Amino acid sequence: MQIQLLEIIPTYFEKSVITESEIWGRKVVFNQGEHVHIIAPSGSGKTSLIHFIYGMRKDYEGRILYDETNIRDLTLETFSTYRQKNISIIFQDLRLFADQTVRNNLELKRQLNPYHPPQKIDEMAMALGIQDKLGRTARTCSYGEQQRIAIIRSLLQPFNFILLDEPFSHLDDANRLKAFELIKSECELRNASMLFADLKELEFFTNEKRLRL
Amino acid sequence: MQIRNLLNTSKNHLSQWLSYFGLGIGVLLLLSSMQMFIDINKLLKDNNPRKNGYDFISVSKIITNDNMGKDNTFKSDELNDLHRQPTIEATAPLISNQFRVKATAGNVIPFSTDLFLESIDDDFIDTVPPSFKWQPGQQEVPIIFSSDFLEIYNIFAPSQDLPQLSDKTVSSVNIILECYGPNGVQNFKGNIVALSDRINSVLVPKTFMDWSNQNFGGVSTVNPSRIYLKTKDANNPQLLTYLDQKNYHLNKDKTKFGRIKKILQNIVSALGVFGILVIILALMLFSFYLQLMIARSKDNLQLLLTLGYSPDWLSKTVAKTWIPVYIGVIIAAIILTAVMQYFFVQISFAERNDLSYFLHWSVVMVGILLLALSVFSNYRLVKKELYKIV
Repeated sequence: MQIQLLEIIPTYFEKSVITESEIWGRKVVFNQGEHVHIIAPSGSGKTSLIHFIYGMRKDYEGRILYDETNIRDLTLETFSTYRQKNISIIFQDLRLFADQTVRNNLELKRQLNPYHPPQKIDEMAMALGIQDKLGRTARTCSYGEQQRIAIIRSLLQPFNFILLDEPFSHLDDANRLKAFELIKSECELRNASMLFADLKELEFFTNEKRLRL
Repeated sequence: MQIRNLLNTSKNHLSQWLSYFGLGIGVLLLLSSMQMFIDINKLLKDNNPRKNGYDFISVSKIITNDNMGKDNTFKSDELNDLHRQPTIEATAPLISNQFRVKATAGNVIPFSTDLFLESIDDDFIDTVPPSFKWQPGQQEVPIIFSSDFLEIYNIFAPSQDLPQLSDKTVSSVNIILECYGPNGVQNFKGNIVALSDRINSVLVPKTFMDWSNQNFGGVSTVNPSRIYLKTKDANNPQLLTYLDQKNYHLNKDKTKFGRIKKILQNIVSALGVFGILVIILALMLFSFYLQLMIARSKDNLQLLLTLGYSPDWLSKTVAKTWIPVYIGVIIAAIILTAVMQYFFVQISFAERNDLSYFLHWSVVMVGILLLALSVFSNYRLVKKELYKIV
């Protein structure tokens, strides 16, 4: 699978702001298997970009293509198929079911299109150090714990691309690395790409294509 | 993990239960009125003088002091005029015998009387058994007897030391028809093959009437004094005005039964329509409840869609949540209708075999159809609401 951004600009942006951007208003191609690190300072439209690519917002000019298909033409029904099979996401604002247990939150995603067996949830929780939180409601978890839940949730489905929007903002360095290694190994398993957007350059993100937003 | 847990269904139980109750009442009304409609149809069928939705009425000329003793038969131009009336579908003359007939009932019943015989087109007779046929040379003459005449006979029979006869036994009575002609008397064996509610007469096959009128009476064409009319509605004012103008007398009494049936069916139909209205109201009430529930669960449903749950699948799943309740409500209504039918038959018509203790299959089908309709309408509504919150 391939994702192409063809001269997209948010409709609410002033054109002068984007002259230094390597993404806004340009042609950008994301090929499956190659990771991309998008460095996006505050206010550069990082979350907007992720939402545009995921099909949640349409207030942009230009075109976004999944392979040859303009996603502006996709129905909600087709989008749901892409979101089940081809594209996963970690939201900056996490978006968990606050009143559900951590395990329910994860199962809700896993059961939609199972890529891993249920035991994998425990393994991943163990790897990120939240194994004892699985029975608690998401509301009672700290933000850092919720961030790790969101990371695990995004890895329970098949995908070609995973969109990451500041996924480690509330993690300490040790947990960042663990989380990054987990995401990376899951990508290798699927020969998938990370589109990793963050405020600043990450030190352990090496050998990847870097784009400034 | 159940999607149901993500729906905010906790509040507003009143409107939810009210809508179930309303749906149950509506379905009950609709199904029971349907069953009543079918019952009325069955009950009034056997005694119904109507045939294929038509009224059959007998018309003769009014006998007054002025025309007494004159020829009061219908002439061909009068028949043609009757034919031309738009309210009259068809006419059939009653041909009477032009010779003397005497009937005796043999040795069993010591009874003998002068008799009249008539014949009419088979189409106009409500009960025509296959045996109602006669060919020259045949000794046995099939007879269709008016059930009114049988009733009259049964009223005076005890005072005359004659046995009373039921519908069934009357066919076994041997009647000897003595036909008086110019060459003496010829006997035939009369056999009552059926009773007629519609035609007040003693009917014989047309072939016998034509043959015997020629043989014994020496006439080949006979002007009828009675005509049967086939009409869509015997109470049509246009028809009645015409018949009054012509000074024809008609027997309206026979059509009353059909009219009662029509009134009953109209009442029951109105009840059914009311049932449909109640069902619509109940479904609307439930749809408000659903809308409220979706509005309350908006965040969760939105997140499910964002995570990749398909709106179609989600609508189906949400709609399916209420299938057990709907099945319960509608099955309860079907059972209640069945119980009502059982007691209705048990109390009122137990001795008659023409009503079934069970529901007609179409009533059950409508129940199932309503179930499907409710679930489908909920599914459509949820889907529409889901697309709104995206």
